Amino acid sequence: MLLHAENLSKSYHAHEVVNIPSVSFGAQGLEGLIGPNGAGKSTLMGLLTRRISPTNGEINLDVGDQVHNLNRLKSHEVARIGLIKTNQRIQGFDSLTIKDSLRFAATSPKDEGFTSIFAGERDSEDVEERVQRYVEAFPFADRNGFARSGGEKKLVDILRCLIAEPRLLLMDEPTAGLPEDITRIVMDMVREKVAAGEMRVVIVEHDLPLIWEYCDYVHFLSEGSILFEGAPEEVKSNRIVAEKYMGV
Amino acid sequence: MDYLIFSFSLMLVYIGLAQLLHIQFGLLGIPNFGVVGFWGIGLYGTGVLFVEFSVPLLPSIILASGMSALLAYVLSVLVLQRSGQAILAATLALAAIVSTLVITEKQLTNGVQGLGTIGFPFGKLDNRNAIFLGILAIVVGSLFWGGARLRDSRLGRSMIAIRDNEELAASLGKDTSATKRMTFAFTCGLMGLLGGLSAPLHQFLVPYLLAPSLTFAVWIALVLGGKAHNFGAMVGVFATFGLFDILVETYAPVPTEYALLVPNFKLFCYGVLLVLIIMFRPTGILGEEGPRVRAKPAPPTLRSAPLEED
Repeated sequence: MLLHAENLSKSYHAHEVVNIPSVSFGAQGLEGLIGPNGAGKSTLMGLLTRRISPTNGEINLDVGDQVHNLNRLKSHEVARIGLIKTNQRIQGFDSLTIKDSLRFAATSPKDEGFTSIFAGERDSEDVEERVQRYVEAFPFADRNGFARSGGEKKLVDILRCLIAEPRLLLMDEPTAGLPEDITRIVMDMVREKVAAGEMRVVIVEHDLPLIWEYCDYVHFLSEGSILFEGAPEEVKSNRIVAEKYMGV
Repeated sequence: MDYLIFSFSLMLVYIGLAQLLHIQFGLLGIPNFGVVGFWGIGLYGTGVLFVEFSVPLLPSIILASGMSALLAYVLSVLVLQRSGQAILAATLALAAIVSTLVITEKQLTNGVQGLGTIGFPFGKLDNRNAIFLGILAIVVGSLFWGGARLRDSRLGRSMIAIRDNEELAASLGKDTSATKRMTFAFTCGLMGLLGGLSAPLHQFLVPYLLAPSLTFAVWIALVLGGKAHNFGAMVGVFATFGLFDILVETYAPVPTEYALLVPNFKLFCYGVLLVLIIMFRPTGILGEEGPRVRAKPAPPTLRSAPLEED
């Protein structure tokens, strides 16, 4: 699955925040998107998930046998094709327990129709097993209860996206608000899934050591455009990146 | 006795409407302030078909409920994805339109002079009002059975998720607007069914029946009882309509010179109750309940997996 943008731009009152002639995400396994504050990372993320409408340009989702124009799709249609995004700011379902929230994300929409009222068991063995596996991998304060701390809510948000089994996952600052050890478990899990060919991932992150450690390919965004792309080693040693970002 | 049967039948209609509002607002978060409108389409639709076009009672009720569902679907396409205030205003306006049309379309509804008579079915039986009460009890009972099934189902869970955070639910691939549209149309159709069943109860239909006070009574009852609890509607209607309209008005020894004060006193009590509930127990008397899931042992491979040790 390839997420491709052509001549993509976004301006606010003649001030151009993003201007990218061409960029593709999802070609490599685990990709990183880095850049200094104000580079336009969040705007680019918003454009890719259609939360923000572009001033110009098209975003297409290539799934192999078919190319979808993202601008014409609704939010749930994009997710059903397989593009899902974790949230930078904490989002959640306040009345659902951790497990119910995950069960909800793991359940296919076609199983949630009117006839599900008459089903004997609410969730299939398969869904229960997947939920159990995710919940037991993390030290939640109350595995059968609600996510209480901000960290737990952030974690549940990421797990909801993972259990929904996307083909391309966009992770918007996954480490913000998560303790170091939890971040490691999450990232190891993500790497494992990518290695198994289950999905491709794009991570937007400020935590550079994490990017260098986990990513196969890194896009460097500055002043609204992609200035450099390449393997982590190349990006790390690139002069432009060093000047613009790492202040060397 | 007949009066008591009438009161109980009316109470069942209120309970049914409150239960449907529980699904619309308590579970799915749609603030429907046009309850009386959808009920009224069922009521007057049945009346017009039965009296003016001599359609038998049961087909009249079914056709009128269908009209209510259809109108609700059209309305849902127009306003359901807008803000809560917009839905509130639109549904309230729909109810006002229904009540105005009933007054102005005299050739169909006979306007303020009233439309009648719609008798109980089973015309030959003596205690047909009691039989009708039984039918109402079955209809309303199945609404509660449906509510309990819904609470424990995948559809119910997705409704709660949509109520809590619609954008997030959509981002996980759920067609939230379709769920809202279908549920709203279906439950409004059932409100119409209760309206159709109310036609033989009232026998003679007058536009006054379509006053917004019905909507407010149902809302007050639901908020009191617990909007997100399956039995909130029932408890709420007992605590309002049952307590005041049946117990106090029928049995309390109110001196005749004070009799006129009773309805006002009733409204006063509703107000006080509502303020107390909102201050001290915003989820209603019964609060919110989670799904009842039968305890089921985890698969053995998972149970033997070592737990995290802190």
